[in-house]
Amino acid sequence: MSGTGHALALRGLTKRYGSFTAVDSVSLKVERGEFLTLLGPSGSGKTTILMCIAGFVAPTEGAVLLDGADITPLPPERRDFGMVFQGYALFPHMTVAENVAFPLRVRKLGAAEREAKVKAALDLVQLGRFADRLPRQLSGGQQQRVALARALVFDPALLLLDEPLSALDKKLRAELQEELKALHRRVGRTFVNVTHDQEEALSLSDRVAILNHGKLVQEGPPAHLYEHPRTRFVADFLGKSNFLHGTVQESVPEGFVIGAGTTRIVQSVAENRRPAHGSPVLLSLRPEKIALLNEDDAADNVVTGRIAAWSYLGAGYTLVVETPDLGALRVALPTWQAPIAPGEGLPVRLGWSSTASVPVVEDVA
Amino acid sequence: MDHAHRPGGWTVAAAWMVAIYLVLPISIVIPVSLTDQRFLSLPQEALSLRHYATVLGSEAWLGSIWQSFLIAVAATVIAVVAGTLCAIGCWRLSRRSTELVRAMMLLPIIIPSIVYAVGLYRYFAKIDLLDRFLGVAIAHGVTGIPYVVITVSTALAAFDPRLEQAARGMGASLSQTLRWVILPRIAPGIVSGAIFAFIHSWDELVIVLFIASRDVFTLPRRIWDGINENLDPAMAAVAVLLVVFTLGLLLLDLALRKRRDA
Repeated sequence: MSGTGHALALRGLTKRYGSFTAVDSVSLKVERGEFLTLLGPSGSGKTTILMCIAGFVAPTEGAVLLDGADITPLPPERRDFGMVFQGYALFPHMTVAENVAFPLRVRKLGAAEREAKVKAALDLVQLGRFADRLPRQLSGGQQQRVALARALVFDPALLLLDEPLSALDKKLRAELQEELKALHRRVGRTFVNVTHDQEEALSLSDRVAILNHGKLVQEGPPAHLYEHPRTRFVADFLGKSNFLHGTVQESVPEGFVIGAGTTRIVQSVAENRRPAHGSPVLLSLRPEKIALLNEDDAADNVVTGRIAAWSYLGAGYTLVVETPDLGALRVALPTWQAPIAPGEGLPVRLGWSSTASVPVVEDVA
Repeated sequence: MDHAHRPGGWTVAAAWMVAIYLVLPISIVIPVSLTDQRFLSLPQEALSLRHYATVLGSEAWLGSIWQSFLIAVAATVIAVVAGTLCAIGCWRLSRRSTELVRAMMLLPIIIPSIVYAVGLYRYFAKIDLLDRFLGVAIAHGVTGIPYVVITVSTALAAFDPRLEQAARGMGASLSQTLRWVILPRIAPGIVSGAIFAFIHSWDELVIVLFIASRDVFTLPRRIWDGINENLDPAMAAVAVLLVVFTLGLLLLDLALRKRRDA
């Protein structure tokens, strides 16, 4: 059903509050029917960007374009965007049905049409039975769905979501993530979501834009961002990562070799992206890409160390392994792959392939 | 709050003393109003309702009660409309200058009412509002504004600004947002303010003494004159009626607050 939504573009969007720059020249495109997530820590400017799109905040510079038309000067009430607020912002004095009917009442729709649309919207989020309840009589998850129904009932050009799941407990959050994703597929509209939860961003989005200090650091499909982070910040914020420092010592057919102390690490890279001999390099290595090796197992890269700390997580273990040249390495290991129960001080051999790690750059502050 | 510190004996005693000190002067009028004597006194031989009968049968007293009621209603309307709009305006703009406006709105309860009354007297004389229903209603309405500004501002402070954003985000104009979202949410505050504004006008004497004489003769004014001229226990009966009515309004306010907080 994709294609029924509208395309949004941000062009050099900047917002300054006095000398503080909340959003720094962000340019971004959201395709029709796409689910885009703005991801970043608090203070990264993601909410300010959403508020600029919604029209509640006027950008200092730059423009917001809808299907190519500049809508920057339009007030929020003339933009025709649906929005799910943090904490939902349901009207406490109105029933569920009245809440959902609000945007239709504003648009002066006839009673019959209004009723039909409200019913359809409530059925969409499976809340038809709760039409006559007040918001405070509903659970958090149900309130969240009412907010969604209210935001979608008037066929908005765009749906904006401001941390839509942050008020819910973990289990419910996972459930509603699934629902939100299914809903996006069903209605086929353009969704712009804001969150600081990287798991939510990865599981929901067609594309993720990662922000830090008001700047767009990297954008792309979730898997691409996870596998090919461009900077240290992206690698660290999206999942966990080990960072290996070293200098380029030689070129090999698949890539290059860096040295850190007496340890040599082989790293594959594309032909055209090889760093110069002797230059410092930073590699990002995901904890789950490191394997625990037996005595006779081989791998592209092998290091030895001792377990400094470990924790059991049910489905797996997290180990912190102290190595002489690379410092502490974090290793995530599925329980079924752990050869023995780990213990502090135990010597281990770690191994990973030359394609497991990725070179990243340090972020400029 | 199960483990809150229990107040000590002295604190309890002091609290009761303050409460009694506040209530005693009011409650003394109750036995006085039931006196069987013809002058202001405590009942001698029996309790009697004759003074209540006098009040409720007297055209002068009933006329004053009715007049006070009408003035209070008109003053309440003025105070509620002006006070609510002012409070909402200050809340929406929310700048340093609006803080000043809000502070200025409290002037009528800060300035001694006698000073205010003298000013009104000179001013109303010029525009021919002395001894007029409209004049008293305006004076009471304006001096009632602070109560409305305070209660409505308090209600707005508890209003979630995201509700306004949500309404606007869904396409509601300012007036739609005001009518459908903001006003229903702050209605309890407005009602509280209205009740206080009403009570303020209902028992206001000082201003009335200055700007009204013969045509406008409010209830507090008639009690005042009655005490000065003769010591008719009918005054005590009126006073009790006045207290009961005011108490009723305060209980109504309390009930409304409770419902809102529930």
